[in-house]
Amino acid sequence: MSISQATAFQPAPRTSLSAWVTIVLFLPPAILLFTVFVAMPMGEAGWYSFYNWNGYGRPEKFIGLKNYGYLLDSAPFARALLNNGLIILASLLIQLPLALGAALLVNRRFPGAVWFRMIFFLPFVLADVAAGLIWHFVFDGDYGLVSSVTTFFGAPPFFLLADKTWAFSAVLIVIVWKYFGFHMMLYIAGLQGIDKSLLEAAEMDGAGPFQRFRYVTLPLLGPMIRLSIFFSVVGALQLFDMIVPLTGGGPFDTTNTMVSFLYYFGITRMRVGFGSAVGVVLFLICVTFAFVYRRLFMNDD
Amino acid sequence: MNFRQVALASTVLAFGAATAWADTTVTILHVNNNAVATALWDKIAADYEAEHKGVKIEFKYLENEAFKAKLPTMLQSDDSRPSIIYSWGGGVMDAQAKAGFLKDLTGEVAGAESALAPTAVEAFKDDGKVVGVPWDVGEVAFFYNKKLFEKAGVKAEDIKSWDDFLGSVKKLKAAGITPLVVGAGEKWPMHFYYSYLVMRIGGEHALTDAKAGKDGGFKNATFVEAGKRLRELAALEPFQPGYLSTSHAQSAGMFGDGKAAMDLMGEWVLGMQAPNSASGKGLPAEDIGILSFPVVPGGKGKATDTLGGIHGWLVTKTAPKEAVDFVNFFSQEKYAKAAAAAGAYIPVYKGAEASITDPAVKHIATDLAATTYHQNFFDQDLGPSLGRVINDISVAVAAGQMTPEAAAAALQEAADQQ
Amino acid sequence: MTDSAAPAAAPIVPFSRATGPVGQVLRYGILIVVAGIVLIPLWATAIGGAKDLGELRSNPFGLPSVWHWSNYTDILLSARYWQVLGNSLIIALLTVFLTLALSSMAAFTFAHLHFFGDRFLFSYIQLGLLFPAATAILPLFIKIRDLGLLNSHWGIVLPQVAFSLGMGVLLLRNAFKQLPAELLDAAMIDGCGYISYFFYITLPLSGPILSTVAVISFVGSWNNYLLPLIVLNSESRYPWTLGLMAYQGEYSTSWQLVLAFITLTILPAILMFLIAQKYIVAGLTAGAVKG
Repeated sequence: MSISQATAFQPAPRTSLSAWVTIVLFLPPAILLFTVFVAMPMGEAGWYSFYNWNGYGRPEKFIGLKNYGYLLDSAPFARALLNNGLIILASLLIQLPLALGAALLVNRRFPGAVWFRMIFFLPFVLADVAAGLIWHFVFDGDYGLVSSVTTFFGAPPFFLLADKTWAFSAVLIVIVWKYFGFHMMLYIAGLQGIDKSLLEAAEMDGAGPFQRFRYVTLPLLGPMIRLSIFFSVVGALQLFDMIVPLTGGGPFDTTNTMVSFLYYFGITRMRVGFGSAVGVVLFLICVTFAFVYRRLFMNDD
Repeated sequence: MNFRQVALASTVLAFGAATAWADTTVTILHVNNNAVATALWDKIAADYEAEHKGVKIEFKYLENEAFKAKLPTMLQSDDSRPSIIYSWGGGVMDAQAKAGFLKDLTGEVAGAESALAPTAVEAFKDDGKVVGVPWDVGEVAFFYNKKLFEKAGVKAEDIKSWDDFLGSVKKLKAAGITPLVVGAGEKWPMHFYYSYLVMRIGGEHALTDAKAGKDGGFKNATFVEAGKRLRELAALEPFQPGYLSTSHAQSAGMFGDGKAAMDLMGEWVLGMQAPNSASGKGLPAEDIGILSFPVVPGGKGKATDTLGGIHGWLVTKTAPKEAVDFVNFFSQEKYAKAAAAAGAYIPVYKGAEASITDPAVKHIATDLAATTYHQNFFDQDLGPSLGRVINDISVAVAAGQMTPEAAAAALQEAADQQ
Repeated sequence: MTDSAAPAAAPIVPFSRATGPVGQVLRYGILIVVAGIVLIPLWATAIGGAKDLGELRSNPFGLPSVWHWSNYTDILLSARYWQVLGNSLIIALLTVFLTLALSSMAAFTFAHLHFFGDRFLFSYIQLGLLFPAATAILPLFIKIRDLGLLNSHWGIVLPQVAFSLGMGVLLLRNAFKQLPAELLDAAMIDGCGYISYFFYITLPLSGPILSTVAVISFVGSWNNYLLPLIVLNSESRYPWTLGLMAYQGEYSTSWQLVLAFITLTILPAILMFLIAQKYIVAGLTAGAVKG
């Protein structure tokens, strides 16, 4: 597809040497760091999943696949799985279009553009402990914004986070709020990489703004959009930060994600082996997704 | 670049300084940020250092959740292990002891322990070996708003049995007052109800029997009935609206605002209700009364059985001998009396409660001194896994999401998986 | 070259050529509404820091009845605030620098060079994105300890960089591949090696994506709590996330102080963002939009 690939297959002797020097110099530091601090700990953590271990000392009680058995029997885990699915849907249908829209609006230089970009990005920067507390206040039925709405309509106080059915929608709102700025930044970077001359040429040919977007911008933004979806799905599967301060997984374990389930049922209960089993299952789900996604969209081949 | 050099240099200096001054350092890791208590502890440290040259006592504070998150890693390596750690006793302490991280103190702290309340001392034994020394104890009781009681025509001294209690709840509701406030969003406040019910129904041995698996372990009649009683109470809708998402701090504030008549809580709520209240002032001390948890008809538990937290120090296995010495030093009568008088906490030293000045705290301390059976918080005693389960099921049963039988079964299942 | 409905060819570059003042109003309108909604929690955080605890609970979104500026000034005047801020800054900047360096080098190699096992290695690095870091904390701690990095800033920086590599390599490789292939060919013909190409062509042309990776990496490091918690023992090395603990007690937390503290610690992250902004949207003036 790319000419540089063709060039690589027919290197001049000098290019070949340069290529090898590059590979030897550029790759090992990253690979080494990654192996030591990520791959190895991950592997060991996976190994813990076969043990009943409380985190003290070394794992001793080997129990084989029992942790996985407990996991499959666990109703809260099934609910967590469902929640992750809902988050993915919300991300793809609401958050990403919102981020793209925001990126398109703030991508140029106009008075105040920088401030808007900053404001949209701020939720991502705000520490979760504060965000969780404040959103708790937003949804508070007695004093929060929700209560302002209910009193305005003369309705009795409604406690969103205490409600089994609706608590999770509150969580979704917070998630969209928190991460759309991150994706907006990705799209802005992507938009910056689009050659202005192509847009100008399209305009000269008489294309209106919507057509320019559809036929020039969108296709050129394709790789970044695919990446953004990838991050979005993987991020949604790994989501944990906001759940703890916002709902603690409740009420009745209806707002857990897989990682918050891992945290509450594994780590805080000092069942490290069980937590690792959750981690392994999550990892397998992510790997399957990554594999399928790459195959389908030929993203990174 | 030079920032780093400066940082590096100052690190080396600090390191050098620390090793130059003291031959032995005893590090004590804790979660208490009550300024009165920490001031007293600094004084104790200074006194000890004055008497023992060459020893440095270092108190290090970590926030509660941070402490729990970090402790497993800290215990793992010899160099970062603190000499003394704060403990709530119970299942976590047992796990630490079984993993071999704690020093066996049997015989080395006998002198100190003879002067301390026996129930507290028992709580810090694992398999008969002494692994820690307690220094404070608390009680969970009903803190009630005297004015609201008057308004509804409820007399605290008439509430002796569970049925009396339910009656008072109904009366309060009829008067338009929220009977109970609970921070069920954090779950553990609700488990106090369940815990006391188990204690009142099953008596002193309820928990130990269940742990040992007698009569079906946690699935036995005691736990099921406790669930039924809890459901009975919750069916009256006694809690504040939205209680399932209220945090503990919010509930304390609500109590301080006079929004609810009763709060089943530990003694620390006395200090929390004012700053968390909307006015910042809360309820004046003379308006707060203390009521013991009622007795359940047909139950084996007594009105004088108490539920409450116990704090103690554990000594880690690689700690210097000065650490044990310091623990003994810390447990002296004069410091217990100072703590009581300053209102830092309720010490376990027998008789020290006489030095307490605050009447509410004194009432609690007297209850504790006269206790027939003191039980550590269930979610500490049962260990981290079962502890979380009991918190979860307490809320689930109260909200009608889980039957008492299913709740008891869930407890047993978690016990089996340990 | 220009549209017949020529918008104001003012010193300000017109941001849309097809729509005039109506488009501008619409654009501002939408932006202000969305920004307002987004800002509500942030606003509440900032003013919450000036309230007392009880009022925070009963009046979270209104203006404080009494402005407790002392909450803010006490923090600003304490040496501890500057110390934890300094630590956070050192850790974050080191993380950003190393992440950019290692990710860009690896991404460049994956983008242009092909050798046996290159796809495997690329997928390998991406694995870091797929496993929740929380589970690997215990073995990670043991690794850090065994390498003698406990209680040091490097013990935080190196693992953070390692975990960011997946994101960095993915984003950068994608961007590097999008650079025109002709540039590389021309450079090769002129006798330029890959490494020189990397430093003289690839990096300078990748301002926006490098800055984006830098910002994401900075924010991730800035807010990191768990890793510093288990690595550090000395309070003098604490980043601000651990410094926060001073306001959190066993049973109750001084939330108003927490909020004030967080409001103050967000400022460097905002500053970093604004600096990076210059590089992200720098491309505007580069291929100047003609009015």
